Amino acid sequence: MFIAEDLIRPMTEPILIDDLTFAYDTHDVLNGLSLRVPAGSITALLGGNGAGKSTTLSTLLGFTRARSGTVEVCGMNPATDPDAVRRRIAYLPENVALYEHLTAVENADYLLALSGERQGHDAITAALAAAGLQDQAWHQRLGGFSKGMRQKVAIAVALLRQVPVLLLDEPTSGLDPRATADFSQLLLQVRERGTAILMVTHDLLSAADIADRIAFLEAGRVAHEVRADGPERFDVRALHARFQLGGDRLAA
Amino acid sequence: MSAVGLIARDEIRLMTRNRVAIIAFVLVVLLTLVAVASSWAHQRGIAELRARQAEAAETAFKAQPDRHPHRVVHYGTFIFRPLGPLAAFDPGVDAFTGNSMFLEGHRQNSANFGDVRQSSLLVRFGQLTPAFVLQVVAPLLLIFLGYGALARETERGTVRVLMLQGAARGQIVRGKLLALGAAALLAGLPAMIGLVAIAGQPGALVWPMLVLALGYIGYLALWTVLILLVSASVRRSRDALLALVAVWAVAVVLLPRVAPDLASAAIPLTNRLQTEVAVARDLRTMGDSHNPDDPHFAQFKQALLARYGVAKVEDLPINYKGALGIEGERLTSAVYGRYATANHAAQARQNSLVDAMGLLSPAIALRSLSMAAAGTDLAGHQRFLEQAEAYRYALVQRLNRMQMEDVSYADDGATDAGADRRKRVSARNWQAMPDFRFIAPDGRTLAAAALPGLAIVFAWLAGALILLMVASRRLGAR
Amino acid sequence: MGLFRYEFRLLLRQRLTVGALALLALLTVAALAMGMAEVARQRAAIAAIPAAQAEDIGAIADYVDRTKDAGSAAYYSFHPTWDAPAPLAFAALGMRDVAPYILRVRTLGLEAQIYDGDTFNPELALPGRFDFAFVLVFLAPLFVIALFHDLRSAEREAGRQRMLDALPNGGRALWRRRTLLRFLLTWSALGIPFGIAAAFAGVGVASILIVLAVVAAYLLFWVALAALIGRLRWSSVANAAALAAAWLVLVLIVPTLCNVAINAAIPVNQGAEIAMAQREAVNGAWDVPREATMRRFYARHPEWADSAPLGPEFHYKWYLAFHENGDESVAPAVRAYRQGLEARDAAGRALGWVLPSVGVQALLTRIAHTDLTAQLAYQDRIRAFHQRLRTFYYGYLFRDRPFGRTDFDRAPRFDDRDRG
Repeated sequence: MFIAEDLIRPMTEPILIDDLTFAYDTHDVLNGLSLRVPAGSITALLGGNGAGKSTTLSTLLGFTRARSGTVEVCGMNPATDPDAVRRRIAYLPENVALYEHLTAVENADYLLALSGERQGHDAITAALAAAGLQDQAWHQRLGGFSKGMRQKVAIAVALLRQVPVLLLDEPTSGLDPRATADFSQLLLQVRERGTAILMVTHDLLSAADIADRIAFLEAGRVAHEVRADGPERFDVRALHARFQLGGDRLAA
Repeated sequence: MSAVGLIARDEIRLMTRNRVAIIAFVLVVLLTLVAVASSWAHQRGIAELRARQAEAAETAFKAQPDRHPHRVVHYGTFIFRPLGPLAAFDPGVDAFTGNSMFLEGHRQNSANFGDVRQSSLLVRFGQLTPAFVLQVVAPLLLIFLGYGALARETERGTVRVLMLQGAARGQIVRGKLLALGAAALLAGLPAMIGLVAIAGQPGALVWPMLVLALGYIGYLALWTVLILLVSASVRRSRDALLALVAVWAVAVVLLPRVAPDLASAAIPLTNRLQTEVAVARDLRTMGDSHNPDDPHFAQFKQALLARYGVAKVEDLPINYKGALGIEGERLTSAVYGRYATANHAAQARQNSLVDAMGLLSPAIALRSLSMAAAGTDLAGHQRFLEQAEAYRYALVQRLNRMQMEDVSYADDGATDAGADRRKRVSARNWQAMPDFRFIAPDGRTLAAAALPGLAIVFAWLAGALILLMVASRRLGAR
Repeated sequence: MGLFRYEFRLLLRQRLTVGALALLALLTVAALAMGMAEVARQRAAIAAIPAAQAEDIGAIADYVDRTKDAGSAAYYSFHPTWDAPAPLAFAALGMRDVAPYILRVRTLGLEAQIYDGDTFNPELALPGRFDFAFVLVFLAPLFVIALFHDLRSAEREAGRQRMLDALPNGGRALWRRRTLLRFLLTWSALGIPFGIAAAFAGVGVASILIVLAVVAAYLLFWVALAALIGRLRWSSVANAAALAAAWLVLVLIVPTLCNVAINAAIPVNQGAEIAMAQREAVNGAWDVPREATMRRFYARHPEWADSAPLGPEFHYKWYLAFHENGDESVAPAVRAYRQGLEARDAAGRALGWVLPSVGVQALLTRIAHTDLTAQLAYQDRIRAFHQRLRTFYYGYLFRDRPFGRTDFDRAPRFDDRDRG
């Protein structure tokens, strides 16, 4: 299996974006974006509305093709080889929508089957447990699930697929503080497996809480990149000032 | 402006801003106009053709030379069923029944040459008439215009916004009813104008036209209420649309086809061959004029001889063959009449079975109402058949009497060279024969026949209104 | 195959889909049952002919045997003809409810007899039959619309589409699989009951396969239409409305409009005029010198020309001769009438090339032998049989041979099997 090979062969930077440009008609969306996400790390791509966050994700997933620049996922180009790339990516949209008339286990089973990576019932329940979904919810229909619970199912699928890359779109929006904390814990677990995690968000607080690195996206490029410094992680107050400063400087 | 008026105005504004709705509306109006025009032209064409053919048949009958009366019994006459003006609105069964009949002695022929056997297979897809447009197409248009009226508000949560602004549930529903009702009225208007234009003679057909107008207005009102009922009862507008299209398909397309099939399976008709064989059997048991020893005709002969106080038929002052013809026709007509009555009764039972299913589908009730008021239903056709038979019987018996009185018994049996000349009666007699004139039923009769259908449509309307009241109480609760 | 099983399981959990498919199968079974019951009734009516006929002819034979008059035998004997339903007739009853499938004829003028109808209730015939063809042509598209209108838009509206597209085997293959699965299920709901019924009715394998292919093609048309409208990326409800409107136009409005257009464009001289002209010709013969009638008859039938000359008294050979002359005199009008009917029918069927609903109806009634072509073929068989009847009775009349009880058994019998 491809995936197993990928895991054996150390892939230091599964996500590699270099000097990416993209435009809708004449409107520039990405303008020389460069970003690397190493294996076993969580990177947050932070930006306001229209900064190019969604376009970056679409490019990585092979939905859109860049005008110029390099995009590689596990050494492959999503534009030319989308299926191979998607086999290595798990993607959680902002609103994780699953089949409401299926149970958690059935959803996981169906999505795994669609990916061509079926697993046994025990493996699925183990993954759901690992993702923090309580066992009484495994065989309930998804109709009454909260966003946090749905995310747990989707993460469980990602865990089972053992993909080297996890893409998250605004994962913490709409989660209550307790659920956000749960989710952070879960992501750390995934990181421990060596997965490269990229989350796009407009929420500095949650990014600072979860990520190892934060890339500030402004006008289609990464304007700053900061790393967590030891156990204190980020100085949010300083970051906030810097973030604001960046915006002001741009406006000036 | 009241809350109801405001809500109605808002709904209408939404409809007018929906380009697809406007296009659909315009198309339906155009379709109605085409249907009115083509149906009217068709009806007038047919009416004129039949009048022309009837005149040709009458002329031919009167132009006969001197003939033996019994020749004329077999020469017979062709009659044509005239088509009333309201047939342009709803031609009903006209295309499916023969419209011409050959009337002759001793036999009751079928009405032949219905359009259904003279058209392409398309005729079975339905006929483009104003009635078809109003019965089938207009409800679907209203569904497209109105399915979301309440479901959309529920889906988007705006129904609560309206209620927070002080609009009561009843006001919201009444406003929507008003808006969709206005659209329904507008959609039905061209057909109604067509109806008035078609009816032509003012006054003469006032009652059936009134019943027709009432029936169709009730039917469209029923759909308006049904649409809002479904729209109020479901949570998503897509579900409302699917449910309404399903209701429409069952009520308008499926049940009207299933009901007749069930009726014809439940009450089978005797086919023509079996009827004819049975008629022949009955006639043999009643009296066989071919059999010289037949008891019935022997008795008839004796009674006749006794009445005139003579011993032999040759001594009768009348032509015995003519008298025999009258008696024979009396017998055959009675037997044929009995079977025709039984057949008509069976068909009427079939129809009442279908009408009973009108309780399940208002479209069935409306269709029978519409045909009954237009005089184009089975009853209308049977009215023609009955009048045709009465005319045939009178005609044949006049001819038989002519043979009895104007042709001598001696001449009738003679085979000498001049006998053929002596057997004939003057051609003037044919000109004196009355023509067949179909007596159309009066307006009250037609309107009365349509009342049961009207009652069912309005019962449906009342039921739907009550359900709508119940359903609207839950509006905004979820 | 495994993925199909997953999609199937997913589909089984959707109440609307399962309900729709079950309903379609139920309607199909009901339509087939009704069609088969109707065909069984028609077969029973045909099977009842010999007994009724034996009684009728027996009574005539009793009477005729006294005089041995072949003319009376010809005049009073009605001979049955029938058009047995083809094996597939149950699926598409076509014109069999309004056109007679049993018709008795005697050796008099045929044109006064061949247009006669059988007893039927026109109000029941008006809406059309509830048969398999109806379920397929009218109802099946509505089910296709219900199952396919939100195939993609539902995933989009539920917010799943992007995630599904991001899956390695998502995207096009997924839609293809789902479309194929729904199509196969719809096809089965119609095709399996039909296949069983057809096999039960003894329909040939080739005909069954053709009908199944027609069903598949017709369903595919609607599936393709749904996919086409789905590409516009409208909402589910807009898709459903657009498809239902398309159904209304393609299945109801265009056929009815075209019916008006065809009947206006191709006038058919009224059959009633033929019947009236024939009557004039037949009855006029009483006022024409008999020799003229016989000369005209012998010109067409030299084989009887050496028959004994007519005396002053009535002779049935003269009577039957002028009846045949009467038929002959309207032959051009009959041909024109038939050509008109065929032209209208051809125009209707030509429409089938562009309008799938009409095309399917035309094709099914053709295979089932229940269309106008089959009706005209039945009329041709009646004409051929009537010709044999004439030849039979002429053999007695023109040779003045006596006609006894046993001669009734020698009369030609209609054979339904020699289809033209």
